[in-house]
Amino acid sequence: MLTAAKRQFKISMLSTKYALMRAMVNKATFVMSIVFMILNNATFIIQYLILFSLKEDVGGYTFNQVLMLWALASGTFGVAHFFFKKAFNLSETITNGKLDAYIVQPKNILLQALTSDIDSSAIGDMLYGFILIFVSGITIKKFIFFTIFLILGGFIHVAFAVILASFSFWISRSDIIADTFNSMITHINTYPEGIFGGITRVVLYTLIPVGFISYVPVQVLTSFNIMSFIYVLLFTAFIIGLAFFMFYKGLKKYSSSNLMISKI
Amino acid sequence: MSIIKAQNLNKSFKVKIKEKGILGSLKSIVRPKYEVIKAVDNISFEVNEGEMIAFIGPNGAGKSTTIKMLTCILYPDSGEISVLGMDPTKDRKKLAYEIGTVFGQKEQLWMHLTPYDNLKFFGAIYDIEDKEIEKRIEHLKEVFELEKFINIPVRNLSLGQRIRCEIAASLIHEPKVLFLDEPTIGLDPVVKDSVRKLIKKMNKEFGTTVFFTSHDVSDIEKLCKRVIIINNGKIVLDDSMANLKYNYLNKKIVEVKLKEKIDFENVKGIEVIKSNNNNLKLEIDTRTTTLADVLKLIDDENIIDINISNTPLEDIISSIYKEGAK
Amino acid sequence: MRKYIYIFKSEFMSSLQYVSNVFINYIGYFIMMFMFWNLWKYMYQDEANLINGYTMNQMVWYVAMTEILWYGLGGRKLCRRITDDVRSGNITYNLNKPYSYVSYIIFSHLGEILIRTILYTVLSLTLFNSILGEFPIGNIYEALGVFITAFLAIVISILIITSIGLISFFMEDASPIYWIYSKIILVLGTLFPVEFFPMFLQKVFKFVPAYVVSYGPAKLFVDFSIDKFVEIIIVQLCYLLVSLLVANLIYKKGVKKLNVNGG
Repeated sequence: MLTAAKRQFKISMLSTKYALMRAMVNKATFVMSIVFMILNNATFIIQYLILFSLKEDVGGYTFNQVLMLWALASGTFGVAHFFFKKAFNLSETITNGKLDAYIVQPKNILLQALTSDIDSSAIGDMLYGFILIFVSGITIKKFIFFTIFLILGGFIHVAFAVILASFSFWISRSDIIADTFNSMITHINTYPEGIFGGITRVVLYTLIPVGFISYVPVQVLTSFNIMSFIYVLLFTAFIIGLAFFMFYKGLKKYSSSNLMISKI
Repeated sequence: MSIIKAQNLNKSFKVKIKEKGILGSLKSIVRPKYEVIKAVDNISFEVNEGEMIAFIGPNGAGKSTTIKMLTCILYPDSGEISVLGMDPTKDRKKLAYEIGTVFGQKEQLWMHLTPYDNLKFFGAIYDIEDKEIEKRIEHLKEVFELEKFINIPVRNLSLGQRIRCEIAASLIHEPKVLFLDEPTIGLDPVVKDSVRKLIKKMNKEFGTTVFFTSHDVSDIEKLCKRVIIINNGKIVLDDSMANLKYNYLNKKIVEVKLKEKIDFENVKGIEVIKSNNNNLKLEIDTRTTTLADVLKLIDDENIIDINISNTPLEDIISSIYKEGAK
Repeated sequence: MRKYIYIFKSEFMSSLQYVSNVFINYIGYFIMMFMFWNLWKYMYQDEANLINGYTMNQMVWYVAMTEILWYGLGGRKLCRRITDDVRSGNITYNLNKPYSYVSYIIFSHLGEILIRTILYTVLSLTLFNSILGEFPIGNIYEALGVFITAFLAIVISILIITSIGLISFFMEDASPIYWIYSKIILVLGTLFPVEFFPMFLQKVFKFVPAYVVSYGPAKLFVDFSIDKFVEIIIVQLCYLLVSLLVANLIYKKGVKKLNVNGG
């Protein structure tokens, strides 16, 4: 079991390495996409400068907390899209019958598929997250927990995307639904929890789990609380489990490229 | 000993049908209509160890669906499969170590890497030790003549070189069975021929059982001792190549150009297919009459040109298809 | 002209096949708007009823309008389509056809987005009218004024994005430039009206495209005045002319470069 996990990890890292090599074939484009992504993310500062000029807090957050919120939003997005880019077009992979190549390999199908590509601009998102967390004031403890939250939040993003994509096993053209919800979670992630009312907040801790990606982590980074940290840990484990369950449940319905062929 | 066993396999797909026009698409949102297509209809067969078997049929016959069920990609609706004594739906990972796959229309290789790096990658996927990988790459390099381009990125290779690498990569873990789905599709005749030779060589060299699909008749003529023909999801023929030839190649075609016309109507064992002035095309049933007898009927000096040939395999198969369709 | 109308028509017809997608995408738009509504509710909580001259309802309507222009336009897809055209070399097939590539893009993209924009507008007007209970437009002339400026805003956006996409003639990937452009539009016109910025910046921002592609029509929608209308129209016409010239120029230069390099 342990050696199998170790081998799986080795292969996933190898895939990521090869995909990174591919992205770096053109160095100028590679570097530019990272730098521009950082600039792109930085424009939000203008938005919040204006909001804070109108009011002392936005949704109960101080400017410093907004920085943390953004650090988490952009960092988790970066982790998810860099290491697991395929999660965000898994829907197409399923409907076009492109899972075949991973199924015939003696490894975990989902992990093989997810790690087969990277998004180089996501490096910019990750870097940006770290830049902001440094700007917001850093201690070693904060840095360590921030890094852990990035990984956990990245996993939640990916698991959420996999659950959405798994619907493609049953429903054709559900890729639009997946795209819509994936971009929604990214957007909501950048707004403070306090602007939302009660029912919406319930949704944000369940159906659209932004709460565990950034709201709880912002709390923990502001004033440390071990229980909140454990909640995030537990939720991450739960949603990953759910993602695997949904994917493997759907896989039995997988129709490879046959539906495509018979459509012609 | 049978290495692949399939019993009463069934697989059907539900396909959404859409009517034309705006109204049609609105209708299909509200109440989608489905059509069930039986891709594989109750088929059973066995393959023995070391055998080289071709699964042939026209497009949409169910070849790919079958091969995908054997390689764990698709779950059958019903029926039983056993490959190397394992059930693909249950022992996917374990089985994956023992089989190799090549899908002609889909690339499994990393395009920006060299064949060498690709082989290393696939070796790692199958948990082979580095030293052992090197040894196997060396061997594959020899057998598949990869020497010249082993260090050139795959995307810069010709189609023929690429398919050779695909096959080599699928053999890195020395699989006991190799599945090839349309390995010769889209290749030019020269490359096709070299791929065929490779498959043959591999079967001999490694003792690999080879199961491959094709809609190219010449593939089986050159490669196989046994053929399974599938059409509309059903097996229409499962026979040795020799039997196929004996049963369906019992006819000869004689095309002859004469100075003076001879009447062959009503001669036993001869059927006139075409008669155009002095040009005749005859089909001779070699079970009732011999070629020599037929030639005796024609005076040597009367012949301007003569050509004797077998019935093309393509026609034979299409006639089996027609029988199957009945 | 007839051929362009035909291009427009056929693109429109094929977009009708994907009407169901529009509704799903609208869910995304609506949740986005729901978020802004919450945001502004929070911001207006203990403030007097006016911030920088806008009531809360005006703020929400403003964002609803700019976001329709944004979502309706589908800029990212347009940019990618042109970049792909350039990179794959498909763009050269247009060389021997008797139409202008830039005009072709304008008409085909207008055809593609027509139904989506109409549906977004209709749905949003109905939804927000029932939520906010206050419709900002008074009469048909104002509506016409908003419509004209909104239409020009879309055409100008298409031209600017086309120009950005065509830059991929000269560099491998133009999408980073598009990201920056989109963020400028987003921050300097979509999320807030110009009035929210400090005085000295407001003057500068009048020269940023966001002023004509999102601020203009939305401002007129929430607070129509004939002076503003005339001002916006004049600036829009200038932008239209310049962006048309620039797009065509980049195209010509790019094609020439392609010919020199032999594709």
